[in-house]
Amino acid sequence: MTKRHHGKRPWTFYALAAFFTLFVLFLYGPMFAIYILSFQGPSGGLTFPMQGFSFDWFSALVGQQRTGDIKGAFGRSIALACIVLSLTVVFSVLAGVAFRRRFLGSSIVFYMAIASLIMPGLLISLGVGLMFQFLGFQPNWYSSALGAQLTWTLPFGLLIMFAVFNRFNRSYEEAARDLSASTRQTYQYVVLPILLPGIIAVALFGFTLSYDEFPRTLLTVGPRNTLPLEIWVMTTNVTSPALYALGTVTTAVSFLVITLALGSIALIQRRRSRLVDMSLPAAAASEG
Amino acid sequence: MENSVAKKRAGTSRRKISRRKFLKGTGAAAGLAAGAVTGFPTIWAQNIKDITLLQVGGSYSSIIDIAREATKDLGFKIEMQNLASDALVNRIATQPESLDIADIEYWMQTKLAPRGVLQGIDLKRFKYWDKVVPIFTKGEYPDGRKVSDQGTLPYEVQYLEAQDGTAFAKGPTDWASGIPTVFNADTLGMRPDIITRPIENWKELLNPEFKGKTAIIDVPAIGVMDAALAIESRGDIKYGDKGNMTKEEIDKTIAILIDAKKSGQFRAFWTTFDESVNLMASGEVVIQSMWSPAVTAVRARNIPCYYTPLKEGYRAWASNSAPMRHLTGLKLDAAYEYLNWHQSGWQGGFIAKQGYYSSVPETAKQFMSEDEWNYWYEGKPAKSEIKDPYGSHMENAGHVRDGGSFWERMGNVACWNTVMDENRYMVQKWNEFISA
Amino acid sequence: MTSPLQRIAPYLQVAPLTLVLLIFFGVPLLVVLAVSFFDYDEFDIYPAFQLTNYLELWSPTSLNLYLQTITYALVTWALTLAIGFTVAYFLVFHVRSFIWQMALFLLCTVPFWTSNIIRMISWIPVLGRNGIVNQSLIAMGLAERPLEFLLFSDVAVVIAYVHLFTLFMIVPIFNSMARIDRSLIEAAVDGGASAWRVIWEVIIPLSKTGIALGSIFVLTLVMGDFFVVKIMSGGQSASVVLALSNEIAVLQYPPAAASAVILLIIVTLMVAAILRIVDVRKELAG
Repeated sequence: MTKRHHGKRPWTFYALAAFFTLFVLFLYGPMFAIYILSFQGPSGGLTFPMQGFSFDWFSALVGQQRTGDIKGAFGRSIALACIVLSLTVVFSVLAGVAFRRRFLGSSIVFYMAIASLIMPGLLISLGVGLMFQFLGFQPNWYSSALGAQLTWTLPFGLLIMFAVFNRFNRSYEEAARDLSASTRQTYQYVVLPILLPGIIAVALFGFTLSYDEFPRTLLTVGPRNTLPLEIWVMTTNVTSPALYALGTVTTAVSFLVITLALGSIALIQRRRSRLVDMSLPAAAASEG
Repeated sequence: MENSVAKKRAGTSRRKISRRKFLKGTGAAAGLAAGAVTGFPTIWAQNIKDITLLQVGGSYSSIIDIAREATKDLGFKIEMQNLASDALVNRIATQPESLDIADIEYWMQTKLAPRGVLQGIDLKRFKYWDKVVPIFTKGEYPDGRKVSDQGTLPYEVQYLEAQDGTAFAKGPTDWASGIPTVFNADTLGMRPDIITRPIENWKELLNPEFKGKTAIIDVPAIGVMDAALAIESRGDIKYGDKGNMTKEEIDKTIAILIDAKKSGQFRAFWTTFDESVNLMASGEVVIQSMWSPAVTAVRARNIPCYYTPLKEGYRAWASNSAPMRHLTGLKLDAAYEYLNWHQSGWQGGFIAKQGYYSSVPETAKQFMSEDEWNYWYEGKPAKSEIKDPYGSHMENAGHVRDGGSFWERMGNVACWNTVMDENRYMVQKWNEFISA
Repeated sequence: MTSPLQRIAPYLQVAPLTLVLLIFFGVPLLVVLAVSFFDYDEFDIYPAFQLTNYLELWSPTSLNLYLQTITYALVTWALTLAIGFTVAYFLVFHVRSFIWQMALFLLCTVPFWTSNIIRMISWIPVLGRNGIVNQSLIAMGLAERPLEFLLFSDVAVVIAYVHLFTLFMIVPIFNSMARIDRSLIEAAVDGGASAWRVIWEVIIPLSKTGIALGSIFVLTLVMGDFFVVKIMSGGQSASVVLALSNEIAVLQYPPAAASAVILLIIVTLMVAAILRIVDVRKELAG
């Protein structure tokens, strides 16, 4: 699909690359303060100047003293984000496929998703909490908070699927049908691979939105906090560079995971293209 | 019960060791053995170890270390969850069965007790009521003077008419709405290295001399009281009750605030504890409303910060613990056991080192070194370094607590944290102020 | 010839999403609607049917509040659109391999895995009077005195919004742009169009679905925010939801509910206006 240009890149490439670099610097701006300050000395705080250099705050993260229950909250947030990621991808992709056809009630579902996006999260968490109390269920991060967070991520997922299916070239599907592929095979081997980048975007959104989510989780979380809640309540009472240490650690881990993931994708791609290269001469030989 | 006797004896000798440890400055979490608090556990039920009590409250009072110590001493599990105060009051009101002990501020009692989600406390089952400072039990100081009732005086919402009562009693009864736990008196913090003249009145918050370098807390109900203290100090308005303003008073207050805002008096209104520390430490602000631990946090960074005692008095606040209505049977027994443990001194000693007062100072005293007691409660100079509960440095030797002794500070309370009757109107006007 | 399975397929496919939304959004919505008509006093709320809560919203303060919030939304929308479009354009048309596209995209998402709260707090050492930016500007001689408006001001709020929400504009536009048939662009170039004309007359119209969806995201996010505006303005600016949350903090549900209903109506109208310009759903079927 992408032609390989081996010519010189136009000047616009460099201009746009510079702009992109500035944008990334802007995104990482506050992170630089966080990275540096997480090595703050034991008596230091959340602003410059640095009062010495230490790993104190990293070890404070693992312990559970003055930092509240960061470790537990972190684990819960990650687990919840993974569940939300999976459900969002599956439900949004399915619904996106459904919306390719006009069906009865499609407008209602669409505007319900939009309204769910607009509704202030505080009121959703109040409502869901009340519902659970009324029905006699104990609110928990894996039940009530999960449902509340889905009202946030599913509309995003659905709308991104709209962007994903937009301008999707149906001729690929038709070609597959012409080659007598079943619907399932068409989806499995043609449609979904083409849409993969978009689906990955939905997955990333689902994870990040859940991991960062605050208002909808606030009153639905049950007896144990997720990470954003724990951090918020800590900042109202405690000043601790351990928060910054957390930021540095999550960044480092994310970079590691991403490098591994992309590295393995690159390896797989290279192996596939090598297989193709290797099989071509044999095929040509058997043909001719 | 030979077990409890044996534990009592073991507890006494271990208590001496632990005091020495305090003097050495080790963190409180280090090695206090079970039974170190005399007299606990008192319940000897077979299945009490299966009980778990969930306490939900602010991060300044529902501290995980307290839960750990309680679990060790009591034989059943205590768990803590922290929520900020607006989420807290909503959670208690709408999901009362999702927690067991409510750790709330006194003004929240006015909103929650009438809703019937809390349970009255039978004072006959609470061991230390006669040792609680009279501010809470009688609404007066030891010399008989009445405590200022501007705002929500805890005494006014301390007693209930009946156990299931949703109405507050005008004087002492046998039923308490909550056990007072943590409290303090708040005032303005300032940079004595930048402001070299003495600060003695609340009106300095509005002094144009500090234009662009002042800040107030961003919670409307509290921020408006700080503003009122400043305005009354300046002489613009004489309030009937700063904690319960009339509509005209609110209008005038907000108008003055809008003027001050437009002339650039305020640098910011801070939301988080960190912000208040950063604003002061970085010099963005030289005088602001602050909390006591924030002042110590700034000083811990070797930046001078002074918690000024002001002529007009302090703005005080207090927290209390109440069992939720749904507790019965063994769980309720466990709750009483826990409440008694809570005021038996360990917790008091712990929070004292963060600058907060315990409602039963007598028991807290047993868990502090003599030097610490003299510094935090008696207002005497520290003989050696003062440390926080985790062993970090807080104050140097020779320092005197800002404002002095317990009675010097709590004896000069101007008003209490509250939510006023005209709160809806006040919030509307506050929204007007922030959008001006 | 559509089989019965094929005919009911869309309903089955959309069912999980619909069910979750009905339970976890529909029920709270009905409760909010009902409560918005209730009566209340200091201690409790009372079932009733009265319009007082709505009438009280018709005031200069509310209108001012909406004006401020909508202004924030529009300014943020313009900036995120400009930046987001440029970045998406760069990623689609100038970055050549899929791996690199993914890598650069993920590079932009990593900061989001550090909690928003921590990042908001850390703007203070960056934008404050003695922060990194001011210190560099003074060191470089570009400013004599620290720029105070960088923090605790409307500027700071917009900076934070752009910082947080540009990604929501990039993703849909990227997805729309990526599917533009390159032969259309080649045809335009062959026909003598300059780069600007290609962008203006070919690329933008073909990615308008992405632009519309990104705009919907940014708009709803800003209109629904209460946290960013509180911290970054230093409590000196307001937003609609912030006013609402002040009421919830003291258990005054009816006026908060009424406020939420009005917000829902207004923002839905804004979204409907966007959808009138770009019929997102028609593009899907096409």
